[in-house]
Amino acid sequence: MTEIVGLRDALISQIDGCAAGAVARPGTEADAVDGVVPAIVAEPGSPEAVAAVLGWASDHGRSVVVRGGGTKLGWGPPVDAVDVLLSTRALNAVEAHRHGDLTATVQAGAILADVNAALAAHRQWLPLDAPHGERATIGGIVAANDSGPRRQRHGPPRDLIIGMTLARADGVRAKSGGIVVKNVAGYDLARLLTGSFGCLGVILTATFKLAPAAEASRTVQATLSEARQFAQVAAGLLARGATPTAVELAWPPPTMLLRFESIAAVAVQQAEQAAALVRDGGGGVTVLADADEAAAWRRHEARIFGGGGTIAKLVVLPSDLSATLARLDEAARGLSLDCEVVGRAGLGVLYLRLTGAASAQASLVRGLRGRIPAGRGSVVIRRADRELRSLVDVWGPVGDGLPLMRQVKRRFDPRGILNPGRGPGGL
Amino acid sequence: MPVDAQFLAELGRIVGPDHLVRDEGELSTYESDGLVSHRSRPRAAVLPETAGQVQAVVRLCRRVGVPFVARGQGTGLSAGALPHPDGVLIVMTRMNRVLDIDIPNQRITVEPGIMNLEVTRRVAPDGYYYAPDPSSQVICSIGGNVAENSGGAHCLKYGFTVHHVVGVEAILPDGEMIHLGGAAVDSPGLDLLGVLVGSEGTLAVVTKVTLRLLRRPESVRTLLAAFDSTDAAGNAVSDVIAAGIIPAAIEMMDRTTIRAAEAAVSPGFPAAEAVLIVELDGPQPEVAARFEQIEAICDRNQGWGVQVARDEAQRGRIWRGRKAAFAAMGRVAPSYYVQDGVIPRSKLPEVLRRIRDLERRSGLTIGNVFHAGDGNLHPLVCYDDAVEGQAELAEEVATEILSYCLDAGGSLTGEHGIGADKACHMPKMFDEADLATMRFLRRAFDPAELCNPDKLLPTPRLCGEVPGPYRAHPVEAAGVAERM
Repeated sequence: MTEIVGLRDALISQIDGCAAGAVARPGTEADAVDGVVPAIVAEPGSPEAVAAVLGWASDHGRSVVVRGGGTKLGWGPPVDAVDVLLSTRALNAVEAHRHGDLTATVQAGAILADVNAALAAHRQWLPLDAPHGERATIGGIVAANDSGPRRQRHGPPRDLIIGMTLARADGVRAKSGGIVVKNVAGYDLARLLTGSFGCLGVILTATFKLAPAAEASRTVQATLSEARQFAQVAAGLLARGATPTAVELAWPPPTMLLRFESIAAVAVQQAEQAAALVRDGGGGVTVLADADEAAAWRRHEARIFGGGGTIAKLVVLPSDLSATLARLDEAARGLSLDCEVVGRAGLGVLYLRLTGAASAQASLVRGLRGRIPAGRGSVVIRRADRELRSLVDVWGPVGDGLPLMRQVKRRFDPRGILNPGRGPGGL
Repeated sequence: MPVDAQFLAELGRIVGPDHLVRDEGELSTYESDGLVSHRSRPRAAVLPETAGQVQAVVRLCRRVGVPFVARGQGTGLSAGALPHPDGVLIVMTRMNRVLDIDIPNQRITVEPGIMNLEVTRRVAPDGYYYAPDPSSQVICSIGGNVAENSGGAHCLKYGFTVHHVVGVEAILPDGEMIHLGGAAVDSPGLDLLGVLVGSEGTLAVVTKVTLRLLRRPESVRTLLAAFDSTDAAGNAVSDVIAAGIIPAAIEMMDRTTIRAAEAAVSPGFPAAEAVLIVELDGPQPEVAARFEQIEAICDRNQGWGVQVARDEAQRGRIWRGRKAAFAAMGRVAPSYYVQDGVIPRSKLPEVLRRIRDLERRSGLTIGNVFHAGDGNLHPLVCYDDAVEGQAELAEEVATEILSYCLDAGGSLTGEHGIGADKACHMPKMFDEADLATMRFLRRAFDPAELCNPDKLLPTPRLCGEVPGPYRAHPVEAAGVAERM
């Protein structure tokens, strides 16, 4: 306790010197990261203050975990201790919406839904629909390179980001990229930080290219007779030249949500074509619009992210989708696990929610990993209790790039203070 | 340690004596890339046929401490493949095979020496194509595209090389082979692939690339409209973006470049102050509706002489005119300097006015041909080598235009890269902390600094001890970002 008070006082005096200052206080149960109460919680009020906190932590060899909306704090290997929990929540402004350029610069602590509410004033949006959009922050979404169903059209954050300002582990601020949509000057550090899980630096602001809001949207809700049809429907749509913005599956039982956004005539026409495709295969369909459509998408997200248990991300090639689901079904039954799946049928990105004995879940994860050749997919555990995470590596094999990733980590964070041990590959 | 007879003999053993170039005359072929104002002859060039040979060459260089530079077709425009005078040039053109085509997953795996357009040719029968289409796509290689993160006319809608490379095999500067990404869309780990693409050959030598293929859109429509001023054309571009339309491409050419294109390939462009080429693709009804909107926008901005491509031949003719513009400048000027800068697309009219003032003041003709939809300018500064001092003046004028781009909040380069050409300009856009952070990355990959040294980042050897003064980036000046 004396040490914590000392730490806190030292940190507070450091931050007090900064222009916009920061709040620093001892951590409480409510601040727990993966069940571990941080010694200090710092909520910097300015980019300078973020940098000052990091500079101080670096000088004193104190570990720092960054928190935005707190929706991903349980990701990664189990935590032993957290010295400083750095909250970005006070840095939540949409700094610039250059609507004539279709770009925006947003502070890391801004919540995705708030950002999109602001951008809607000019009928534009940041085309990300990552889970927990009402709470998840831009910084967290970028740090995790997280995305949602409409990744099918717009890509993940790494495809949308055009610039970043960051605070380095040593407390120095730097930038990469800029505010223009096309730019190859210098190394693209914004992409490097995207998906780095807070282990290379702290994102201060991110600049994105935006998308115009679609004039109309329709979603086809399809009920299929068997999971094998997912891949057929996805391939059939694309073969017909359809331009869906989301091609989602959910299972069991096998259902799909197929979204079409464009001018009204196209959204309606393509939805009808998709409905016909499903009906021809013996499935049932409902075409949804407006409030019904929004509700269907909320239910879809909640199916995995609104429930308890383990969440894992399973990536395979689209051509391996059917075989993978069959194997998953068989393995889950054999291990007495409950397993629900949603995901991007057009891309081969699936999210699993597992419930059952930790040892059985670990067997299932190992079994899936064992069947995926290098470069053709992966299984990453996103959220799980400590028991499962101690039984199985959450990241799985990272490949022969791992030693180089360690070198990058060492250069960016030589003292190893940022999210230590929890980054991809255990960085 | 220098390149000596023993070193050369070892190189010859690795790639075979027929694929080691050490003759001074033959080496002169490789002394520049597409930016011929920068020249430097390597000590030797090798043309490996396998990744194993590349690896052995890199290992040898590393062991002896010899710098090495990888080169594809040498079409780059920033001296990114400029050889090191004490080093080895690794020419990748023999590694040009297609290794795998996977249509169900929309992937193709190729060696880096393959031509960009060849990738599309190989999958066209299945109804697919490779989206990034730099103007040099007939002769530029995928390896060079990966190094430069190449764009092209259609990157407005479809993105750059980085959006289409899903995996690579590469030889690190210490000779280790690594695999980043793969055929699947995501791989766990840091996104080193995302930063390797566009690293201008300074981080590794890529030996295999897996690319994403796109299905040919259902319909494509191409329109050309003439304008009485570049302002009017620029306003039309802004109006298109503001209307929430993202065409596949919006290109602008001005009077000088229209004349050059006419002289070279006779595309039948109107004699106007500016033309816009707008291409839409996607589902037929969407394209039709958007096309009407675009015609109305051109009309509202006093566009005239509208030509709509009625078939693939007419579309091809319009694009031939556009893509020939650089090379065609030779028809209207003895020499020209191609600049590559980026501005926010809403600033087009303002920056074009500044360029016109500069044209008047300098007395040099400045042609403009550019990717207007994404604000990527390619001013062509014309000069005559025979007139003393004009080449230097042209370079000064081109540099002045870059400062206009930075003033407007833009970038030093949109697609040609920094290379050796603009490395000393980097401090105009990035401060010492930014550059030091980029050096973290470089040193993680290449602690011995042997892989394409003196490119991308300013070095004392290249720029003198004191790099140019730092000026606040307009993003910072506007209070969008601050620094300590």
